[in-house]
Amino acid sequence: MTDIVITDPQYEDKIRLMQMLSLIRDPELELNIIDLGLIYDIKIDKEARQLIITMTLSTPACPAGDYIRGGVELMAKEAFNGYHINIDLTFTPEWSADMISEAGREELGW
Amino acid sequence: MDIPHHQIPGKKAIIPYYAAGAMSLVIIGLLTFISRKDFGGHFFQPHLLAITHLTVLGWGTMVIMGASNQLIPVITDQKLYSERVSIAVFLSLTIGTCLLVHSFWNFELGILMLTGATLVLTAFILHAVNMFLTSKKAQKNNIIVDFVLTAHIWLIVTGTIGATLLLNFRFGFLPADHLHYLKVHASVGMAGWFLLLIIGVSSRLIPMFLLSRKEAKKYLTAAYYLINGGLVLLLIEGMGLHSTRWHVVYIALIIGGLLFYLVYIRHCFKSAIRKKMDAGMKQTFIALGVVTLPFLFLMIAIFSYSQTPVSIITAYGYSFFAGFITILIMGQTFKTLPFIVWMHLTKPEKLAQLQPKDLYNEHLVVLQTLIYLPGFLLFLSGILLKLQVFIYAGSLLMLGVSVLYFGHVLYVISKLRK
Repeated sequence: MTDIVITDPQYEDKIRLMQMLSLIRDPELELNIIDLGLIYDIKIDKEARQLIITMTLSTPACPAGDYIRGGVELMAKEAFNGYHINIDLTFTPEWSADMISEAGREELGW
Repeated sequence: MDIPHHQIPGKKAIIPYYAAGAMSLVIIGLLTFISRKDFGGHFFQPHLLAITHLTVLGWGTMVIMGASNQLIPVITDQKLYSERVSIAVFLSLTIGTCLLVHSFWNFELGILMLTGATLVLTAFILHAVNMFLTSKKAQKNNIIVDFVLTAHIWLIVTGTIGATLLLNFRFGFLPADHLHYLKVHASVGMAGWFLLLIIGVSSRLIPMFLLSRKEAKKYLTAAYYLINGGLVLLLIEGMGLHSTRWHVVYIALIIGGLLFYLVYIRHCFKSAIRKKMDAGMKQTFIALGVVTLPFLFLMIAIFSYSQTPVSIITAYGYSFFAGFITILIMGQTFKTLPFIVWMHLTKPEKLAQLQPKDLYNEHLVVLQTLIYLPGFLLFLSGILLKLQVFIYAGSLLMLGVSVLYFGHVLYVISKLRK
């Protein structure tokens, strides 16, 4: 879901964060949350040392929701030590299987 | 950092149900093996009544109620209303089932049987109240929630008819033949409780597990009204008018509803992104295929205008519970239980090293299916053909699977101790 273009001045930082976040796997689908399309947006404010991650869950009452959200915070802290991490959980737009990346679809056997 | 597990019900609200259900399956296997000769005779006799009630209450309802304590909050996007009520339901259902099964086995129509029935009915009501209060704030006009909640109303109706039947055993106040009410009791339980609840829960879980891109909910709405319409007619005619003259109409409505549900599932499957299915999902689809068997036997029973052979009626009930319900629950156990255990194992300080699939053995689930299916089909053929050798072989295979399943469930639960 998150598109990071190479011309983005924060390209490298965002890629580093995405790599860390891709270590978190959805326990049921066995797919990492980046390919699953759960991360909607990343904002890095270096001056304020703040990181805002906008993300979703496959369903509002996802039983693994706390684990996934906690994992995102954990990985973000590891990638950006000393930053204030702000996780914005949203359900607009609602997640759908169409948000799964090409690589994710391949892994799921589509 | 602390990860709040606010959506996860406590272990005590779920795990005991799975353990008790698995133990019941072993006891069912043993009792079936001991009583194998009884399956050649009439279905209305003590041992078969005891085995049926243990299957329905100790196995099917037990595991379904435990799983619903986990799944209904997911389906309704709400927190489980009360874990204490879940524990009370478990105790009431377990003790009630033991008393009821013991009384049926020995055909003692006394205080133990009535106490058992009262405890079981109390468990039904408490569980239903817990589910209604959990779903209270759920999104309105949600057909899946409607299925689940309506199933709980039919569960209470089934339990009430059952308790009335027990009183009728002693005091004989109902005007029609006892077997007539037994049919109504069984049909309302099968279509009202099991079928509606399974349709409701699976309509949410199957597209979720398969990552379906299209959910044709209009078919579910049609299924809901057809099945409930059929059940209301059955109840009015069966209990109010004490007859079953219109049975073709309501059976047709229920079968029509089931067909609409199967069309919905077909749409989910065709639009699924996740084509690789694990053993648990494969077993679920086998169960959905097997559900056609009891309805086939029902059709044979309806259209054999002369005397319906008793073996067909036995095969009807047997294929519903030992076929559809048991295969479905055995498969879904290893979709839900490892996940539940995993959620209680995850620690906030680090990412999980183990995934739910690491907490059980997929090969054992495959083996379970490979042994159970021939066992079930042999037993069913034995009932239909009145061949004791088939019944003997089938019951042995199914007893073996029940022990395997019980051990596997305990193995998964034992991970919680680490």
